[in-house]
Amino acid sequence: MTENRHLGLSDAGRYEIRLAGRLDDRWATWFDGMTLTTADGTTVLSGPLADQAALHGVLARIRDLGLPLVAVTRLDADPHVPPR
Amino acid sequence: MGPLLTTKLHPPRRRRGLVARARLDARLDRAGEVAVTLVSAPAGFGKTTILTEWLAAGAPEGRSAAWLSLDARDNDPALFWSYLVAALQTAVPDLGATTLAVLQSPQTSTEAAVATLVNELADLPRELVLVLDDYHVVDSPQVHEGMVRLVEHLPVQVHLVIAGRADPPLPLARLRARGELLELRAAELRFTAAEVAAYLTGAMGLTLTADDVAALDSRTEGWIAAVQLAALSMQGREDPSAFVAEFAGDDRYIVDFLVEEVLARQPERVRTFLLQTSILARLSGPLCDAVTGGDGGKDTLEAAERANLFLVPLDDRRRWYRYHHLFADVLQAHLRDEQPDAVAELHRRAADWHARHGDRAEAIGHALAGGDAARAAELVELALPALQQGRQEATMRRWLQALPDEVIAERPVLSVGYAAALMVSGETAGVEARLRDAERWLIDDGSRPRPAGRMVVVDEAAFRRLPSGIALYRAGQALLSGDVPATVTHARRALELAGADDHVARGGPAGLLGLAYWRTGDLDTGARWYAECAASLEQAGHLSDVTGCALALADMRLEQGRLAEAMSTYENALRLVTPPGGPVLRGAADMHVGIAGVLLEHNELDAARRRLAVSAQLGEHAGLPQNPHRERVARARLAEADGDLDGALALLAEAERRYAADYFPEVRPIGAVRARLHARAGRWPDALAWGRQRGLSADDDPDYLHEFEHLVLARALVARYAADGDQPSMAGALRLLARLRRAAEDGGRTGSLLDVLVVLALAAAVCGDQPAALAALRHALELAEPRGHVRSFLDEGRLLRRHLAAVANGRAHGYAGRLLAASSPGATPVAARPVPAWPVEPLSARELEVLRLLGTDLDGPGIARRLFVSVNTVRTHTKNLYAKLGVNNRRTAVRRGQELDLLTRGGDEPTLAADSR
Repeated sequence: MTENRHLGLSDAGRYEIRLAGRLDDRWATWFDGMTLTTADGTTVLSGPLADQAALHGVLARIRDLGLPLVAVTRLDADPHVPPR
Repeated sequence: MGPLLTTKLHPPRRRRGLVARARLDARLDRAGEVAVTLVSAPAGFGKTTILTEWLAAGAPEGRSAAWLSLDARDNDPALFWSYLVAALQTAVPDLGATTLAVLQSPQTSTEAAVATLVNELADLPRELVLVLDDYHVVDSPQVHEGMVRLVEHLPVQVHLVIAGRADPPLPLARLRARGELLELRAAELRFTAAEVAAYLTGAMGLTLTADDVAALDSRTEGWIAAVQLAALSMQGREDPSAFVAEFAGDDRYIVDFLVEEVLARQPERVRTFLLQTSILARLSGPLCDAVTGGDGGKDTLEAAERANLFLVPLDDRRRWYRYHHLFADVLQAHLRDEQPDAVAELHRRAADWHARHGDRAEAIGHALAGGDAARAAELVELALPALQQGRQEATMRRWLQALPDEVIAERPVLSVGYAAALMVSGETAGVEARLRDAERWLIDDGSRPRPAGRMVVVDEAAFRRLPSGIALYRAGQALLSGDVPATVTHARRALELAGADDHVARGGPAGLLGLAYWRTGDLDTGARWYAECAASLEQAGHLSDVTGCALALADMRLEQGRLAEAMSTYENALRLVTPPGGPVLRGAADMHVGIAGVLLEHNELDAARRRLAVSAQLGEHAGLPQNPHRERVARARLAEADGDLDGALALLAEAERRYAADYFPEVRPIGAVRARLHARAGRWPDALAWGRQRGLSADDDPDYLHEFEHLVLARALVARYAADGDQPSMAGALRLLARLRRAAEDGGRTGSLLDVLVVLALAAAVCGDQPAALAALRHALELAEPRGHVRSFLDEGRLLRRHLAAVANGRAHGYAGRLLAASSPGATPVAARPVPAWPVEPLSARELEVLRLLGTDLDGPGIARRLFVSVNTVRTHTKNLYAKLGVNNRRTAVRRGQELDLLTRGGDEPTLAADSR
């Protein structure tokens, strides 16, 4: 591949992380500044993350609480993927 | 390196109120049949507990067991492997001593440490199980890399059990395919319905209906931490069924719901205690008191443990505890939500307590977590010397990276420490900027404005050494980029700035100057600086480092053909690292190998062989990291001298595998040594292929760093001409040899010149130019005779020997004649030089007596009675004479004594006097 494809490893981005179970609001501080919304027995963490390392940090915290992870979505328009 | 936390080296204390889980114990028993057992499941699935119970129940039968609880700090490879060895030593005390020595040596690699560890494990007489708990905290690629190596070379009698919340990046698929992996995962670890019932109604003694139990099982899905929390919440309730109904109907995060229930049932005092101490990785009474500002911490901890509040005792005396990780996380979330402003203060108190009690690492962690960068920076500055000594560069960099740049910039000691850490890990890019940051505070000659802000210095002694240190790192940078003049300038500056009696600070720049001149081929100046470096290091008491200097110094002396000086350099350094009665220090093995090399050139093959045997007996921990490959190159030369070409090639291949780089210029690459072997054996196509691969040509400009390689190329070209008469090859060889000869003469490198002349003689001989061949050979012999070079001639084979014979005809008793005599079987040594006094340190009269009695059937007490001394005294003498002889047991001591003719000497026998008393 000769085209210089952008990998986005060091880019900031907005993410949405969906978990099974309802998390109380107080956990917002635990997941540094992400917004918590709950519906239908699932919780959605959303907000800006500095880079991939920050995302993996949040995922590790989710793992350490034993929270079942359902989905991770990047919200920003991704130049490589046509918008839904 | 700071003291290791022993609480990490034992399984946690067993908890009360557990459910027997025979099905899992039976599964785990298979761990002794496979290489790796993986216990992989989220937090709260009882991983640690089943392993603790399995080991406590006496399993694994007939095996030793070792345990290591990992934490985030273990991402420093130096620390990780030190802890791993310490854990192994709890099971097998002698295990891993060599590995630790390798870990602590400068310029070592994880690879070398793991290779050593694998060798040590392979010698274990018994099966051993090593449990690594909480492996998911490891995210260092270097640690993972080492573990992959360990797993791939794991001896059959060793079994690893790895527990964690995520699958480790090990070759699991391969292990699985080979049937070498046992896996216990969440589906198996979770409580079955029967276990939920047994736990709630049996172990916890709750009165519950079958429906309640079923509802709890369904809501918790067998997640053990949840079942336990639920049980805690129900203890003492009038109507547990009502609780079960509420719990089952709630969809909140299950642990959150339950912890809230549990906390709500605690007295306010206990609740606050739990929240405030949740920031601690380990808890003790006094530490808790310091953090909460209260008292009675010890009692509260004991009460909490009795109440099953997820507190895990870490030692038998109940001094240290930790919270179950899941519980601690939930408590911390509550703390941050309820008292967000208190968190920083709690961390500050924890940092102070740890700093006062000598745990700087934990103190720094809390200072950083509490956002107190200034305090953290101060602690890091104080920790630097120990970190540098313990080779914990990874930890150093992690802390420095966690500090804001502006905080480091106003601390010159930290800035230079950062530069040092970067240089050690080979990242030269950021070094200069850090050095400039530090320098801004040091240069106050009005040439530049004073930087804004203020300078902070905690370690005054380190601050005073900065100017010299900065110049030293600049010299190191320059050398790495091959800039010899800049290396010399900066290193001289470092010397000027170092205190006259600061021997440590003087050793570094002197060594760099030695290296710089060595690279240019100015060996006299290079050797002079190295001698100064060695003297400084000796005065500073860094004796093992003196042996490193000796290697450099002797290498240069050999190129100069000053064999006797090379020999005495090795012998003097050896004396330093084998003090009478003291332990053998690192570097001793290297000195024996070096001596063997000189003996080899003198054709004293048996003496060389003995030295190599002594080096091997001393063990890997007595050698510098480069000794494994240097030793094999020496053995390859010995094999060549014995005419064992295949053996020599195999040893060189081994040397390449064990190769460890250092800062020395690579003047004799192993590939070139092999090519010379090929050329001498007539395998010139192999030798020429090597030359092409190295990009060497007969018309290259002469350059000291490639002198040896060029000479090998010339040798290969001569071999080709001899085989197929290819004229251009011979022409090229002669051009190259003429230039090499001039360069060696100009540089005063007599050793190199002698080798050039020998090849020149060969070249002339295969061209049929007898007079030229004899002239070159005579010149070489004149140089060789006073120095005792032998193998340089004998290794060249029959053709050269015929010409030696021609020279010898003229002078029957000349050196050529002696060389020829030496090349025939059963020959005696050629050189007129005296056989070196050996052992290096003569045995005392008493030690001689003990040695002679060791050769009899008497046992220790028998010898003691014979000599009228205590058994302990005999032991001391024995230890000392072992050290002097370079052996480690009675059998080899006696053999060595026989070889040295020490056992039979009669005469002044003080023993007889004692006996006839």
